Amino acid sequence: MSEIVQTPGLSRPLRAENAAEVLRPPSQAELMAELGLKSRPGWTSRLPPGLAAFVTNGKGMVGVIILLALILTALFAPLLTSYDPNRRAGKPHVQPGYEHVLGTTRMGKDAFTQLVYGGRVSLTVGIGAGLAAAMIGLALGISAGYFGGRTDDIITFFVNVVLVLPGLPLIIVIATMVETAGPPVIGLVLALTGWGWAARTIRTQTLALRAREFVLAAELMGEKKWRIILIEIFPNMLSFVMGGFVLGTIAAILAEAALEFIGLGDPNSVTWGTMLYWAQKNLALQSGAWWEIWPPCIAIMLTGAALVLINFAVDEITNPQLKASRKIGRIKRFLSRRGRSADVF
Amino acid sequence: MSSDRALLEVRNLTVDYVGDNSIARAVNGIDFDIREGEAFGLAGESGCGKSTVAFALARLTRLPGLVSGGSVRFGGEEVLQFEKARLKAYRWREVSFVFQSAMNALNPVIPVSEQIMDVIETHNPELGEKGARARAVEMFELVGIPPQRLDDFPHQFSGGMRQRICIAIALALNPRLIIMDEPTTALDVVVQRDIIEQIVELKSRLGFSVLFITHDLGLMIEFCDRIGVMYSGELVEVAPASSILTNPQHPYTRALGSSFPPLSGPRQRLEGIAGSPPDLRALPQGCRFSPRCPHAMAVCTQTAPELRFYPEHESEAACHLLN
Amino acid sequence: MIFLLRRLAFYIGAFFLAVTFNFFIPRLMPGDPSARIIASFQGRLNESQVEAIRKSYGFTGSLWEQYVTYVGSIMRLDFGISTVQFPEPTASLLFYAATWTLVLVGLAIFFAFTIGSFMGIHAAWHRGGFFDSFFTPINVMLNAFTPAIVALLLFYAFSLQLQWFPLGRAHSTSIMPSFSFEFIGNVLYHATLPVLSIFLVSFGGWHLGMRNVMINLLNEDFVILAKAKGLSDRRVRYRYVARNAILPQITALALSIGFLLGGALVTEQVFNYPGLGKFTFTAIGSRDYSFIQGQLLLLTASVLVANLLSDIANVILDPRLRT
Repeated sequence: MSEIVQTPGLSRPLRAENAAEVLRPPSQAELMAELGLKSRPGWTSRLPPGLAAFVTNGKGMVGVIILLALILTALFAPLLTSYDPNRRAGKPHVQPGYEHVLGTTRMGKDAFTQLVYGGRVSLTVGIGAGLAAAMIGLALGISAGYFGGRTDDIITFFVNVVLVLPGLPLIIVIATMVETAGPPVIGLVLALTGWGWAARTIRTQTLALRAREFVLAAELMGEKKWRIILIEIFPNMLSFVMGGFVLGTIAAILAEAALEFIGLGDPNSVTWGTMLYWAQKNLALQSGAWWEIWPPCIAIMLTGAALVLINFAVDEITNPQLKASRKIGRIKRFLSRRGRSADVF
Repeated sequence: MSSDRALLEVRNLTVDYVGDNSIARAVNGIDFDIREGEAFGLAGESGCGKSTVAFALARLTRLPGLVSGGSVRFGGEEVLQFEKARLKAYRWREVSFVFQSAMNALNPVIPVSEQIMDVIETHNPELGEKGARARAVEMFELVGIPPQRLDDFPHQFSGGMRQRICIAIALALNPRLIIMDEPTTALDVVVQRDIIEQIVELKSRLGFSVLFITHDLGLMIEFCDRIGVMYSGELVEVAPASSILTNPQHPYTRALGSSFPPLSGPRQRLEGIAGSPPDLRALPQGCRFSPRCPHAMAVCTQTAPELRFYPEHESEAACHLLN
Repeated sequence: MIFLLRRLAFYIGAFFLAVTFNFFIPRLMPGDPSARIIASFQGRLNESQVEAIRKSYGFTGSLWEQYVTYVGSIMRLDFGISTVQFPEPTASLLFYAATWTLVLVGLAIFFAFTIGSFMGIHAAWHRGGFFDSFFTPINVMLNAFTPAIVALLLFYAFSLQLQWFPLGRAHSTSIMPSFSFEFIGNVLYHATLPVLSIFLVSFGGWHLGMRNVMINLLNEDFVILAKAKGLSDRRVRYRYVARNAILPQITALALSIGFLLGGALVTEQVFNYPGLGKFTFTAIGSRDYSFIQGQLLLLTASVLVANLLSDIANVILDPRLRT
C-alpha cells in the first residue's frame, strides 16, 4: 500500500494530521461496554421476538412476579390458613397477632383468611373479565379492520357506543335490576362493557396491516380469509391483545371493587371489594380497626401496580419510541464524557 | 461556481444505532469534504447510511442514533462540540435542511406563514414581525408560490408546492449549506424535474453549497459536481460526477452504474448486484463489499481498504484492486 | 361541518340506544318495579289502584305504546316520580344532585387534565431522566388505585384524624346559598378532599397519555425541522409538539368523562357529598328505579355532550377537519 504516492494539491491526507482533534470512535464492543449493553441472553433466542422483549423487560417482569405472587397466594389459600372465610374465627376486632395474622373483622372473621380467599374471587373476576373483553375486542377489531365496508361501519358504530356509554352507571342499573349481583354477574357485565378500547386499537392496527405486502400477497395467492386472519394478522396483534387484556383487567378489578364497595355486590360473597364494604359499613376506620381496611386496600393497590408495570412493558414493545427513550441518559453521559454538547432528542 | 476551499470537512465520522442488545454501526468512519458553492452528492442503496450522515452533519441524529466519534468541521469550527447557543446559530443560519417528505416536514396544524416567519424572527429579531413577513413573501415569490397563500395550512397545497415551501424555508436565512435528503423522491417525475431545475437556478444565483442525497443516480449526475458512493456505512468512492459512470474505480460503483439505465444510447440489459449488504451489528472482517464482490481477493477478506486519492482518475476510492 | 353533523347524528343514535336499553332492562327482568310496589301493599289494593300504579310506571298497553310513551316523557325531561322523596319529581332531584357532581368532577378534571398534561410534556421532553423514570410509573400506578381506596385514605387522614376538613355535605348548613365569596369559599372548602381524591386517581392517565403522544411526535419530521431551524426549546416544545399532542388528549378527555363520573359516585359516598353518587346510593338501597335509570340517562347525555364539545374543539384546533 505504501507505493501509493500522495500527490500535493487537491489531495490531502484524509486522516486528519492532528489526530487529537479527531474524536476516536470506540469499537462496537467498547461502545456496548460503555453504554452498559449486554448481548441478548442465549435462552431467549428460541422465543418469538415479542415474547423475548417482554421477558427481558425489567418493569414488566416485576409486574409479572407481583401478579404471580398474588395469584399463587389466592390459589393456595387453603394451605395458608386453617380458618373458613365465611365463619366466625374469634372475637370481633382482635388485633393482629399469632392467632390471627391480620386480626379479625367486626364479625369475628379472620381478616387474612378473607384476604387470600377474597383474592380468588377478585382476581378471577378481574382477569376473566379482562380476558373476555380482550377476546371480544380482538374478534370485532380484526373483523372490522379486515372485512371493511358495511361490517366495519356496523362494528365501529357499536365500538363507539360502548366507548361513550358510561360504564359504571350502566352497571349500576343492571346490578340493581338483577336482585343480587354476585361476582359472576359483575364479571359478565364488565366484560360486555369493557371491550371498546381493545376493539378500537386492534381495528386500527388491522387496517394498517391489511395494506402491507405480505397480506396482499396471501390474498392474491388465493388464501382463504380465515387463514389469512389466523396466520398473517393474528400473530401481529398479540401485543395489542395483551395491552387490551391488561387495561381491561385493571378496569375490571377497579370497577368490581367500586361496585361492591358501594354495596351493589353480593355482600355475602368474600372478595376484596366486599371486605372494603363491610369495613366501611362497620366504621372500621372510625373505630381504629385499621387491620380490617388496610389489607384489601393494599391487595387491590398491588394488583393495580403490577398490571400498570406490565402495561408499561407492553407499551414499550408496541411502541419502540418509548423504549428508545430509556437509552437517552446513557447516550448523554457518553457525550458529556467527551466534552460534546448533548442535544439529543 | 465551486471553489477548492472546503466549507465542511468530515473526518472519521462514525454513527451508531444503539439497540437493546447490540450496536449497529450505520456509518463507519467516513471522510469527505464539501467545498464552497459545490453540490456534493451521496449515493448508495437504501440503508447504506447516507441519510444518517446528513442528519449527523446537521446535529440532528435522532434516538437511538449516536454520533460516537469523528469530527465535522464547518468553516474550521468543530460542529460536534458546539454548545447550545452556537448550535442554534449553526442550525439554519449556516446549514438548513430539506426533508424527503414535505407533508411530514410541515406541521399540519400551523399555517405555513408562521412556519417560515418563526425561523426568520428567531434569527433576525431586529426585523420584527413585519420584516419577517416581508422576507417570507420574498421567499415565496422566489420559489414561485403566490404570496397571498402564505396563511394557508400545509394540507391546502399540492405535494410539489409543499416541497417548494420547504425550500423557501430552507433559503430564508441565506445559509451556506443546504442538506437535501431525497428532496424529490416523493414527487412525480414532472414536478421532480421542475424542482431540481429551480434548485439549480437558485444555487447559481445565491451561491450556497448543497449536500444532495438520492438513490436516483441519473438525477444526481446531472445536478452534482462530485459524488460520494456509500456502501454499508462506508464511502467506497468519491469522484467527479462526470466520471462516476464512465470511469468507476470501485467494483460497487461499477455495479451500481450498470444496475442503472443509461440516459441515452442503445438499450442495455441491466445487471443487479447479487447478495445483500452485511448485518451492521456483526460486520465481516476486511472489505464490507467483499462477500458480494466479483473480483474479491484473499486480502479483501482480511484487511479493510482505505479511501485513497488516485490522481490519474481525479477520484478517491477504497479498494485493494487499485493497489 | 359535515364531520360535526355526522358526529351529532351518531350521538343522537347512541342516546336513543341508551334510552331503549333503559326501557327494556326493567321489562326483561322478572318483576318490574311496579310489581314490587304493588307487592309491598300486600294485596290491600283493588284492581283500579293496581292499574293506576302500573300506568304511572308506564307498564300498560302494548310494548310499542309503552315505548312511545317512555320516549315522549324522556323528551319532556320527565323521569317519573321518586319513590324515596315521594312525590318529588325525579328530574328535579337529578338536576339538584348533578349540580354538585358537576362541581366536583369539573374541578377535578380541570386540575387533573392541566397538571397531568404539563407533567406529561415535561416527562416527554426530558424522557429517560429522573422525573420521567420515577414519577411516570408512580403517577400511573395512582391511576390504578381504585377511587374508593384513595377517598377512604384521604377521609381517614384529613377528616377523621387531623380534622382539617369537614366530614360531609357540600356546604355548611349555616350559610345560605348565594353568590358571595363566603358561600363559594365554603363550597370549595367542602369540595377540597373529594376533588383531591378524584384528581389523584385521574391525573396519571393524562400524564402518561400526553407523554406517549409527545414522544411519538418528537420523532416526526416537522419536529426535527423545528429543531433544525434553531427555534427556542420552549417554542418547539409547546408550539410544535404539545400543540399537536393536545388533539388526541381532548378526544380521550371526553371519552373519560363517563369513567370519572363513575368514580365520583364512590367518592361522594365516602365523603357524604350530596351529588349523583350519594343520591344513587340511597336510590339503590330503596330500589328507586326511576332515579337509577334517570342517572344513567343524565350521565350518558353529559358524556355525549362532552364528546360533541370535544369534536367542536377538534374542528377549531385542527384545520384538516375544517374542509
